[in-house]
Amino acid sequence: MIARERLNQLKDKFGSAILRADLPSDRQLFVWVQPEAVKELCRHIFRDLDARYVISIGADDRPFSGKFIVAHDFAFDTDHVLCSLLAQLPGDEPKIESISGVVPAANWAEREMRDLVGIESVGHPYPKRLVLPDGWPEDVHPLRKDVPWNHVPPEFKEGASFEFEKTPEGCTVVPFGPFHPTLDEPAHFRLYVEGEMVRGCEYRGFMAHRGIEKLAESVMSYNDIPVLAERICGICGCVHSVAYTQAVEAAAALRPPPRAEYIRTILLEMERLHSHLLWVGLACHIVGFDTLFMQAFRIREPVMWMAEKITGNRKTYGLCVVGGVRWDITPELKAELNQTLNKLQAEWEPLVGAVSRDKNIQKRTRGVGVADRNVVKNAGAVGPVARAAGVDIDCRRDHPYAAYDRVDFRVITATGCDVWSRVVVRMKEVFESIAIIRQCLEKMEPGPLQLEIKDELPVGRIGLSSVEAPRGESHHFVITGENNRPRRWRVRAPTYQNLQAVPAMIRDQQIADMTISLGSIDPCFSCTDRMETIELRSGERKTWPQKELLALSQGKK
Amino acid sequence: MPEGFRGRPVFDGNKCVGCGGCANNCPARSILIFDVCQELRILQYVGGRCTYCGRCAEVCPEKAITMSREFETSTNDIGDAQQRMELFMSTCQRCGRCFKDESALEKLKLTGYRFDDLQNQRWIFGAGAYQENQPAVKDIFIEMDW
Repeated sequence: MIARERLNQLKDKFGSAILRADLPSDRQLFVWVQPEAVKELCRHIFRDLDARYVISIGADDRPFSGKFIVAHDFAFDTDHVLCSLLAQLPGDEPKIESISGVVPAANWAEREMRDLVGIESVGHPYPKRLVLPDGWPEDVHPLRKDVPWNHVPPEFKEGASFEFEKTPEGCTVVPFGPFHPTLDEPAHFRLYVEGEMVRGCEYRGFMAHRGIEKLAESVMSYNDIPVLAERICGICGCVHSVAYTQAVEAAAALRPPPRAEYIRTILLEMERLHSHLLWVGLACHIVGFDTLFMQAFRIREPVMWMAEKITGNRKTYGLCVVGGVRWDITPELKAELNQTLNKLQAEWEPLVGAVSRDKNIQKRTRGVGVADRNVVKNAGAVGPVARAAGVDIDCRRDHPYAAYDRVDFRVITATGCDVWSRVVVRMKEVFESIAIIRQCLEKMEPGPLQLEIKDELPVGRIGLSSVEAPRGESHHFVITGENNRPRRWRVRAPTYQNLQAVPAMIRDQQIADMTISLGSIDPCFSCTDRMETIELRSGERKTWPQKELLALSQGKK
Repeated sequence: MPEGFRGRPVFDGNKCVGCGGCANNCPARSILIFDVCQELRILQYVGGRCTYCGRCAEVCPEKAITMSREFETSTNDIGDAQQRMELFMSTCQRCGRCFKDESALEKLKLTGYRFDDLQNQRWIFGAGAYQENQPAVKDIFIEMDW
């Protein structure tokens, strides 16, 4: 009972500050604490107990308890425990001491909490607006329950512009984005450049918000959300859909049938396969080796075809419902999938050889975009970025879900901390994924695909779920609710934390290496930008006002 | 195209019993129901933002919905994407109200009950996703001899 041990450790040190604790299983620990003690507790957990910071969540619980809820999630990876530190704040003036001073990785999460839920983090080192559009009024917080999902405040100022920080002395500004050939999605880095060297940057993102969390909390129902969740990201969609359903299942204490767990595992690994193949291709493209880019995409295509055969679509699988999966893998599909894997492995080996022997790629990636252990810890970076820095974390092993506890695989790590190490980690992980799928196909036994749910899901329970996406850990937090939908659903995509490591990665590097450094975290801005309530925020408002853009895009004048 | 490919859903009016399960389970809220009178129920599929997820076909107790292989469905007339069924609901001889398949509906309730109808379409399609002056759904004109 390692979770209980951890709880006792906290109790010994903080006794009276801990109000109550829930241990729904040996894997999850919920500790309700007094708000005043949150900062010290977080420091203790993050520094002394060396837990990994996951995310902070703000929730409006006023219609139910009259309070706001703040949760700071941590992961004890070696103990296989996910821990959530919860505090209730008064409904009229929600304020809590900022933890960003002791846990730097909480920087964005706390700013987002202020923007969207209106919970002030007192003493935040950089309390700039993060998520809301520039013209949005200060006192409207879209994720509060009294704000309708389609509310556009009348005070919204369309022409408001973003205020950048002052440029450091001696530096020139080079804008990178919002639209840049190496990025598929909008994000803006304002680089401070001294000669060829990048000395710092300011990030401005969240330009493509879609209001997904608000929509789920106010309009959709439990089994609709998996379909919405897989549209959070264009590459790791299945990951989000599985993470959401697992969080609901954890909250409602449901366990999907074993065959469903195997099928989830298989499709998650197929997603990792095509994502890694795509990424290696794109990385080669960024450094200018387009032949490998073409080859990687050619090898990747059969995986997409296979996904289409199993689920009916190349990318949006529509796989999960609460309590199971919707598509079965028939014996014919199993045979075909095995063949595809054999072919993939045979083709992937020479490609790995070509990449690892190519001097140009090595010159462009070795010693570039360095994020060492310290950066990883402080930014909360996950996935290949962490593993390439020798931080041995992988949710598939550390917080096993679906059928990962029944298959054997290695967690690939490297020690270079640079882009090259990330290339190596990803290339080797492809072989592990192939092995995992083979084992699953072997071990899978016939059985039901969905759990029959006879009763309404319980209300007000909390569920956590971490799923290892190709880019790192994707963490979902769910509070179950009335009307067949969750009260609060918080998505933390891996890029959310990894992006916070980018400023450290690109500092004092050549500006030409910026693209591959950023590319090496496999940034996925649509995951990160998933919530807001207004559709469009144009970066070029001075020449194209939003109204005109809208009219233009709809073909109406 | 593989066998299980999910394209545009096709509705079969001969099989449909009008239980409304598809409307209650559509994540895109693309299937709407409207009761004109006691015996006549309209089921309208508004294809505009259907994601072809296939939930409707999955929950349909009568298998009246099939996922076709049509996917090239772009059009500049929103009416092209729509399908409409006018369903005559048989009434109970004793109480005069419409039959509904009790067991199927009960089951559907548990997998996600919600009722979308055409009267709420402005609410469903409001707020920027569709403009106010743009018809989200072609208005229904039904000749009735009242």
